[in-house]
Amino acid sequence: MIVSRSQHNTNNKLVFRPDGEDHPSESEHEPERRFMLGLFASMLDGVLVGAVYGLAASGLTLIWGVMDVINLTHGAMVTMGMFGVYLLFTETGLNPYAALVPVAALGFVAGVVVYWTAVHRVVGRPPLMSLLTTFAVNLMVIGTGTILWSTSPYNVDVNLPGFSLGDYTFTGNHLLAALAALIIAGGLSLFLGRTRLGKAIRAVAGNRMAAELMGIPSSQVLARAFGIGIALAALAGALIATLFPFTVLSGGSYELKSFVVTVLGGLGNPTGALAGGILLGLMEGGLTPFITVSWIPVIEFALFVAVLIAFPHGLFARRPRR
Amino acid sequence: MTEPILTITDLETGYGDVQVLWGVSLQVPAGRVTTIIGANGAGKTTTLYGTMGWLRPWRGRIALKGEDVTHLPAWAKTQRGLVLIPEGRQLFNTMTVDENLDMGAFSPRARRGREINRQRVFSLFPRLQERRRQQAGTFSGGEQQMLAVGRGLMAEPDVLMIDELSLGLSPLLTQQLFITLKTLKQQGLTIVLVEQNVHLALALSDYAYVLAEGRVFAEGPAHEVATRSDIRTAYLGL
Repeated sequence: MIVSRSQHNTNNKLVFRPDGEDHPSESEHEPERRFMLGLFASMLDGVLVGAVYGLAASGLTLIWGVMDVINLTHGAMVTMGMFGVYLLFTETGLNPYAALVPVAALGFVAGVVVYWTAVHRVVGRPPLMSLLTTFAVNLMVIGTGTILWSTSPYNVDVNLPGFSLGDYTFTGNHLLAALAALIIAGGLSLFLGRTRLGKAIRAVAGNRMAAELMGIPSSQVLARAFGIGIALAALAGALIATLFPFTVLSGGSYELKSFVVTVLGGLGNPTGALAGGILLGLMEGGLTPFITVSWIPVIEFALFVAVLIAFPHGLFARRPRR
Repeated sequence: MTEPILTITDLETGYGDVQVLWGVSLQVPAGRVTTIIGANGAGKTTTLYGTMGWLRPWRGRIALKGEDVTHLPAWAKTQRGLVLIPEGRQLFNTMTVDENLDMGAFSPRARRGREINRQRVFSLFPRLQERRRQQAGTFSGGEQQMLAVGRGLMAEPDVLMIDELSLGLSPLLTQQLFITLKTLKQQGLTIVLVEQNVHLALALSDYAYVLAEGRVFAEGPAHEVATRSDIRTAYLGL
């Protein structure tokens, strides 16, 4: 284009011509402009959904960081959050956003129960043991869920008005989900930094023996941390249920995304998880207009491996200390 | 003499299948400094861990202020006033000085006096006050040990057990910390000291136990133990 234009221009030595067929008209610009706007909108939507990915991952990474347990019940608990909000909405008519409160509370209780039954005895043991016990719980939860709800898709029928950008409509659901994720992540950060239990969780994570010697009942603290991690997974599931249709098996793919986010955000760094989630969402949003959606997990996991090789502690990891 | 504040009777424990202690008995009178000395591997640290419950006692009995606490976990003993400052500082490295001190005051009994105790710690170690917002992991060895002692004091100990206070510290810093311990002793704190620097430990202590191969080999008033030639040559390397 540029070459041909300069060839035209050599005739009368004008760089820009006010008229003529080489000056692109509005109608020629339009698809390009619309594409750019669409790409921008897709990336913005990726950021909104990414905040929810980050919330899910913060639950995984909290447990990982505090007790060195890779919690394979994570996806199942995301699913439980989805069905929790679905059932509360359809059976009791509770507003899906108000349902976040009971979903979080039930998630916490479920997490504490799973900790004492399946995790407590394998904390501090070789990682394979906790992988196996949490995977076993995962199979039980997903199996029970499949009996109850089969694997057919469900959705939470809520549509909040949003705004449009070009051809792209941002529903209120997406905006509110991202806002809720940000508020919860901010709350988590304040909780870990300011409260007595939050500090105790960090103390046990940093040095369990010292915590115990300072009078901190470390097992009880770990049980609560596990409960909080599960509550975060369930909350993320509940928010995802207001965005997309889901099945009993949907949690699994969000669990995998959580691993990618965890690596992006830094292992065991719950606040970094939000940044990692937004980064992943941004990437998904930026890629969606160009490639078939089924390629996205392939690219995500290629990235996962690449980041692990280049930055073993994650992109946003705090400087490792002795 | 009145009833000892801490009594350990026939303690046996170890690591995994390896038994280290073969019946250790100690009595710690209130308001005194009791020291446990012995060669490397004699079981000094193991005695402290077994007493705290960080290592489960296999046999024997531990009584604190007349209460049987043998099978309580370490955190519950700390909450009852038996506090161990472990070997190697064991600080919360990613937390600030203030947060480390807060963690020392975690138990309900210590939380009430938290701010008073914090001021007390700062008056003992003014350096900690200057750096209260700094992360513990960035400190020098001496500052870390000050913080470890300060954090232990925040727990309002009735009995303070200290493992290898001088490990890795310069002679000057070691002297300073022992002067601090002397101050604490004068204030009436009960201290159990495990220390490689036998001279300093015996100079500060009222009573000494000499461990060898997981048993109490000898005991007596510190000044007597310090002069017994058989102990000096066989177990203290003096």
